Amino acid sequence: MKQIVKGLLLLATVLVFVLIYFPIVVIALMSVNASSTGQTFTYFSFVWYGEIANNTLLLRAIGTTLFVAIISTTIATVVGTFVAIGINSLKRNQRLNMMVLNNVPVVNPDIVTGISLMVVFGLLPISFGINTMLIAHVFFSIPFVVLSVLPKLKELDKDLFDAAQDLGCTSLQAVVKVIVPAIKTGIITGALIAFTMSIDDFVISYFTTGSGVQNVSLWIYARLGRRNFSPAVYAYNTIVTVVTIVILLRLNYYSIKKKMRRLNQ
Amino acid sequence: MHRLRAYVIPYRVWMTTLIILPSLMILFLAITDFDLYLKGPFVFTLEGLRVFTESTIQIALMNSIKYSLLTTIIALLIGYPAAYYLANLKSAYKTFFVALIIIPVWSNMLLRIIAWEKLFFPISILNNFGISLDWIGSDKAIVVGMLSMYFPFMILPIYSVLVKLDQHLIEAARDLGANGFDTFVKVILPLSLPGIVSGVIMTLLPAMTTFALPERLGGGKVLLIGNIIEDAFMKTGNLQMGSIISVVLMIIILILFKGIMTVDKEGETLL
Repeated sequence: MKQIVKGLLLLATVLVFVLIYFPIVVIALMSVNASSTGQTFTYFSFVWYGEIANNTLLLRAIGTTLFVAIISTTIATVVGTFVAIGINSLKRNQRLNMMVLNNVPVVNPDIVTGISLMVVFGLLPISFGINTMLIAHVFFSIPFVVLSVLPKLKELDKDLFDAAQDLGCTSLQAVVKVIVPAIKTGIITGALIAFTMSIDDFVISYFTTGSGVQNVSLWIYARLGRRNFSPAVYAYNTIVTVVTIVILLRLNYYSIKKKMRRLNQ
Repeated sequence: MHRLRAYVIPYRVWMTTLIILPSLMILFLAITDFDLYLKGPFVFTLEGLRVFTESTIQIALMNSIKYSLLTTIIALLIGYPAAYYLANLKSAYKTFFVALIIIPVWSNMLLRIIAWEKLFFPISILNNFGISLDWIGSDKAIVVGMLSMYFPFMILPIYSVLVKLDQHLIEAARDLGANGFDTFVKVILPLSLPGIVSGVIMTLLPAMTTFALPERLGGGKVLLIGNIIEDAFMKTGNLQMGSIISVVLMIIILILFKGIMTVDKEGETLL
């Protein structure tokens, strides 16, 4: 009986991995497939990896994606950290209220966030373009930073901040020199989540962009089923996936090593 | 500590401006003929409610409910055992296996949809393995596509609750004579409810509102409310119709959000 249950659990897990990794494998396969429609596998080639450098519009889209991701992640990480520190110092009731507000963009489907921002920007005297896209990305990134920093703050000794002030720190110094280093891992996780959310965003960018500004997702969407779709984007996406896996492996490696060291002491 | 509370004030203003204001604005757009860009005079009218008598809208609403429920139920039935398996895994690489669930989410969703689309045509790279599918436009195509996109959102919240579960409670149940089945139904399942609620909502809402997925895997024949909203806001410019459908969606979200808040006050299962 126990064996059957265990087998079923394993079967479910394998099924999940197959379903979520199938498209990833297909994308990787397309990136080394010489065929430009990708409907059949013609022959193995790295031609699309070289093509990234030749496709000016794709290159520009990659540039926009990275620019928006780097700026919005930086802003969201700094602001989100301070906001989380602020929320953590609130009384329970107020804190819960703030968390409801914070979690709205997390739970809201992208399309609702997208049209909401579109409506607000439409009322304001600003033109749609990279600025509005940037504001949108900052908007949906901050809540994730807050959510990943807050649990670390809760683990912190409540008197740490007061102690730092008693020893002569100003309140800003106490935050920057004492609290921030103590919650560093939460901040890094938050920044990573914000960055990955930003480089893959399609729906919110779609509703908040303008004047021809395209990130990679918008570049793809404009070319779906058209002849100017270039498989070079499969190559780009495969590179991004491999880089993320390597970063994750390294982080995991360090945390295992740290655990080992702690056990040895 | 008190001085730190000031950090929250600008954030409260910012979030209110970008959440409450547009929600009211969309409600306003739904019941007037106001032009967002010309900002001319407007009159209140419930004329727009007539969209609910249109068959395309009715079908889109039904489709959204059908596909999102189907996907969510299957995702829960397969995702819960998978989350349970991962949470009870005794391996040095446990965190790595869990990270493996997240990685696909960081790959471009549009490309992942295209990847499925390519396989669902009769002529595809699957022919090399002697398989030929003709699934574009079928329920199978859409549900498989949705499961592939949203499994991680179901599994991660459930995993995060299961992995923190106090093992002593399970031992206590066994000591008091409960068998494996009873322990699961009476102890583990109730305690993992917050994760289940988060997972269900994080799967249900994106599945209900996606527009790129039905567009590709439905072969242009299957419309969801996401397609109606996208069409209204970005193509036809019929903001009143788009807003009415959005208001319906927002009411559903509000009810589900209340659900999350009752089981998980601070949103700890959302990340």
